Amino acid sequence: MQEHFSQEIENLKTSLIKMASIVDEQVDKVITALESGDIELCKGVKSKDLEVDAYDNLIQTQCENILALFQPVASDLRLVISAIMINNNLERCGDIAVNISQRVKKAGNERSLITESQIIDMARTAQSMLKNAIDSFIKNDTELASNVVASDEKVDKLNKQIFSFLVAKMQSNNEFIEASTHLIVMSRNIERLADHATNIAENLVFYVDAQIIAHRKKLERSGN
Amino acid sequence: MEIKISVKNLDAFYGKNKVLHNISIDIPKNKVLAIIGPSGCGKSTFIRCLNRMHEVVGGTIKGEILLDGEDLTKTDPVLLRKRVGMVFQKPNPFPSMSIFDNVATGLRLNGVRNKKQITPIVEKCLKQSALWDEVKDQLNKSGANISGGQQQRLCIARTLAVDPEVILMDEPASALDPISTTKIEDLIFQLKKDYTIVIVTHNMQQAARVSDYTAFFYMGKLIELDETNKIFTSPSNKQTEDYVRGRFG
Repeated sequence: MQEHFSQEIENLKTSLIKMASIVDEQVDKVITALESGDIELCKGVKSKDLEVDAYDNLIQTQCENILALFQPVASDLRLVISAIMINNNLERCGDIAVNISQRVKKAGNERSLITESQIIDMARTAQSMLKNAIDSFIKNDTELASNVVASDEKVDKLNKQIFSFLVAKMQSNNEFIEASTHLIVMSRNIERLADHATNIAENLVFYVDAQIIAHRKKLERSGN
Repeated sequence: MEIKISVKNLDAFYGKNKVLHNISIDIPKNKVLAIIGPSGCGKSTFIRCLNRMHEVVGGTIKGEILLDGEDLTKTDPVLLRKRVGMVFQKPNPFPSMSIFDNVATGLRLNGVRNKKQITPIVEKCLKQSALWDEVKDQLNKSGANISGGQQQRLCIARTLAVDPEVILMDEPASALDPISTTKIEDLIFQLKKDYTIVIVTHNMQQAARVSDYTAFFYMGKLIELDETNKIFTSPSNKQTEDYVRGRFG
C-alpha cells in the first residue's frame, strides 16, 4: 500500500512543517520584542497559539491513524514516533512563546537591565537552536541536529550566569526586584525553549540514524 | 455523499438456514468498503448478494438491494454482473486463452467484435490494472503462464473491460505473496477514483490500509459500520474492538 501510505506520511510531515513555521514565527516575534522593546510585537502571539494547539491535535490524530491503519515498521515507525515527540515539543515551544511575551510586556522597558543581563544573547541562541532543529527535520540533516544538541550547554551556562547576575542586582537594590523576577522567569522559559529544540534535534537523529542520543552524556557520566 | 448501493433489511438463506440477518448498509460511490469478520460470519455471502451470485449457489434473499436506486432483484442477472463485476480469491484466468483474449472475452460476449475497438480497451484495462508494462510484449502468452499476482491483476483487467460501476473483491490477495499483495492494494487505491469497491478480507491490516469504510460482521449480523480509521482507533462496539485487537472469542 505504498501510494496511500506515502500520501499519509507526506500529510503528516506537511502538518509538522506548518506547525513548526508558526512556532518559529511566534518565537521570533517575542524575542524581537525583547530585543527592541517594541511590546506591540507581542500582540497576537497568544491567539496564534490556538493554531499551534489545533495542529497538535491534528498531528496526534494523523499519527494514531497511521499506526492503526498501516502498522509502519523500521524507519517509517521511527518517523511516526519522532513525529509524536516533535509535535509535543513544538506545542510546548508555542506555550513558551506566549509565556515570554507576557514577561516582555511586564519588563520590556527595563532596557539597561535586559542588555546587561545578556538575556538577548541567550534568547537568540535558543531561537537559532529551534530554527536549526526545524531545518534539520525538514532536510533530514543529522549534522545540523547534532550542532543543536551541542549548543544546549551554552544556553544552560548563560541561564546560570543570568540568574546569578539578576540575584546580585536584586540584592544590591530593591528597585530591581520586580523586573529581575520577570527576567529570571523569562530566562528559565528561554532555557526550556532550548531544551525543546534539543529534544526535536534528538528525535530527528532517532528517525534518521536509529540512534537514541537523548541523555547520552548524563548516562555516560553516571556509568549507565 | 452519493450512495451507489443501498442494502435494506437484507436476510439471506441457504434453504431454510438463515445466514444473514437484517443487514442494512449504504455503500458510497467511489469509496472502498471492507467487510471483515471471522470465518462463517457471512462476508462472502453478503457480497455475493450484491451481484446475485448468491442465487447461483442456490441461495435466496429477503429485503431490498438498490443499485443507483434500482432494485437488483428485478434486474437481469447478466446485465447486473456487467455493472457489478467480481474478482475472486483464487486468480482464475481462462487457461486456454492468451493474456489479450482473457481481457477481450468479456467485450466479445457483450457484442464488441471489432478488433480496432477491442485493442485499445484491452490496453487501457491492462494499464488500469498495473499489468501493462509487465505483459505488453507477451500479449499472446497464455494467461495461465504468468505469476499468481499477475494472474490476479489480469482478472481485475478482465473485470474492468466490461466497464463495471462496482467491483466486488472476495479475498483478492489472500493467495498472493507480499509484493503482489502490495500491488493489488495500490491498485484498489487507484481504482476507487473510478469505481465503487467492496472487498471481503480476512486480513484486518489489509482492510485498514485500503478501505474508506469498514463493516464488521459476526454470525450473519452487521455489528458495526463506520469510517475505517474510526473502526481501527475507537470502534463503538465492544465486539468490534475485541475483533480488531485480536482478542476475539
